[in-house]
Amino acid sequence: MIEIKNLNVSVEENKILNNLSLTVKTGEVHAIMGPNGSGKSTIAHTLAGNPNYIVESGSVNFNNKNLLEMEPTERSLEGLFLAFQYPIEIPGVSNASYLRQILNSHRKHQGLEPIDAAEFLKLLKEKSALLKMPMEMHSRFVNSGFSGGEKKKNEVLQMDLLNPKLIIMDETDSGLDVDALKLTADVVNQMRSEKRSLIIVTHYLRLLEYIKPDYVHIFQNGQIIESGDHTLASRIDKEGYE
Amino acid sequence: MNKNISSIAFKDNNLIIKNSSNSIKIEKSINFDKDNELHIDVSPADQTQRIVLDVDTHDDETFNLKIFLKINENAKLEFLDESTYKGNSNFKLITKLEKNACLESYKLNKFNKNKINNFYHDCSLLESSSFKDYIFSNGSKENLNRTTINLNDINSSYLGSGVAISDSTNSNNVVEIRHNAKSSTSDCFFKTVARGNSTISFDGTIFVDNHCSKTISNQVSKGLLIGKESKINLVPKLEIYNDDVQCSHGAASGQPDAKTLFYLTSRGISKTEAEDLYIKGFLSEFFDTIDNAQMMTKAKEYISLNN
Repeated sequence: MIEIKNLNVSVEENKILNNLSLTVKTGEVHAIMGPNGSGKSTIAHTLAGNPNYIVESGSVNFNNKNLLEMEPTERSLEGLFLAFQYPIEIPGVSNASYLRQILNSHRKHQGLEPIDAAEFLKLLKEKSALLKMPMEMHSRFVNSGFSGGEKKKNEVLQMDLLNPKLIIMDETDSGLDVDALKLTADVVNQMRSEKRSLIIVTHYLRLLEYIKPDYVHIFQNGQIIESGDHTLASRIDKEGYE
Repeated sequence: MNKNISSIAFKDNNLIIKNSSNSIKIEKSINFDKDNELHIDVSPADQTQRIVLDVDTHDDETFNLKIFLKINENAKLEFLDESTYKGNSNFKLITKLEKNACLESYKLNKFNKNKINNFYHDCSLLESSSFKDYIFSNGSKENLNRTTINLNDINSSYLGSGVAISDSTNSNNVVEIRHNAKSSTSDCFFKTVARGNSTISFDGTIFVDNHCSKTISNQVSKGLLIGKESKINLVPKLEIYNDDVQCSHGAASGQPDAKTLFYLTSRGISKTEAEDLYIKGFLSEFFDTIDNAQMMTKAKEYISLNN
């Protein structure tokens, strides 16, 4: 699915990722853990194409395409989805019309007709119910006035609607209460398949107790310093990163 | 519901005036080979009356239009200009609002990107009359909107809301609000969006004369620079000669937030679509100022149509 080789990334002239290499095969779930400032979010934003993250060197192959040459729009249309740690508020744009627009962009890319209003409403009701999101939320502006947990649910809803091939979840668990975390994990587990890969960036074990990763990587100073199976996350939770 | 009492249409060189009520009196009209000039007198009716101006001009001639609009005591009027100006144009509107008269004006015009279009509005208001003014400027090569409001009597009020969107064109917007009587109020809210190498200016003056105590006046202008070579000049001015007033003004301009654009493009929409959504959000405050649901829908359609 994605092969990262010797990636060096800087932000505002500060080197964050140091020669990072990571391969995620189709169907695999990888968790990235690490202390604050270790570069976890940097890898997530770099893969999504955030222009503030400057790739100094290295390569990223995404489904046999050079990911680094693609604009963020193209990365998304090719099946990469980043669930933001801090979802952006867009005042003046209703969540429903926004969701429909992004869905139709993907449908257009896939050669499908735009989804009509009735069909979209049905789909939105179905997907929102899984996350226990009231439909009233969709008449509000995108993420505006949403609680931290509601914003994260809205990220997962978009993820579910767009049906991506590679999901990158950047600390989606932060700001979620226990029930919301379980709901989110249920949706992610439903989306888990042999054709889809996940990279879960997190500080904590709790999300990984619901979404059991195939591999856990420990980040420090922009590098992977240790990799293992899901038991590594439990060990870190008990012993810390030191 | 508002009643569509009258429509005035200039099409195929013919002036068409339709009246479904005697309450709007058109006193004079002049042939097309001269400057078109209309005198319209609005008397009170049971419901709000409406004039729809639907001019469709030729691209090879300059269209001149002057309308004198008198809204008599207690009369209420909606004035909707949905004209398509394919050529150069000069439109002068001179309005007078008598005691307790109400006017709502909406300008939703289509312009030719290669032409010059000017709109001048002089409005004077008497006791307890009110004017809500919504102006959209979008599309012509050079566009001038010049509005002068004279609040001449106690408790007269003006709400002016404007949007200027330019795509490699120039738009000049001048609003002068003159508080010439005590206890009058005004609110002016103007938003501009500059794309390509556009230049947009907003020059807003609030004048309060020395005898005009208890005046309340606010002015806010905001600009969004989409094009790297676009320019926005916001010039708020206060000329206040009385201490017993509440007046404020504010102006701000900037580029779209890069984080927001990244968020939107990371969802698979193009940069242009992301900017359009951003503009939609930016202008939403403007739509909030329109309390007429039908007109709000028209305004939203107009904006989406042109972006």
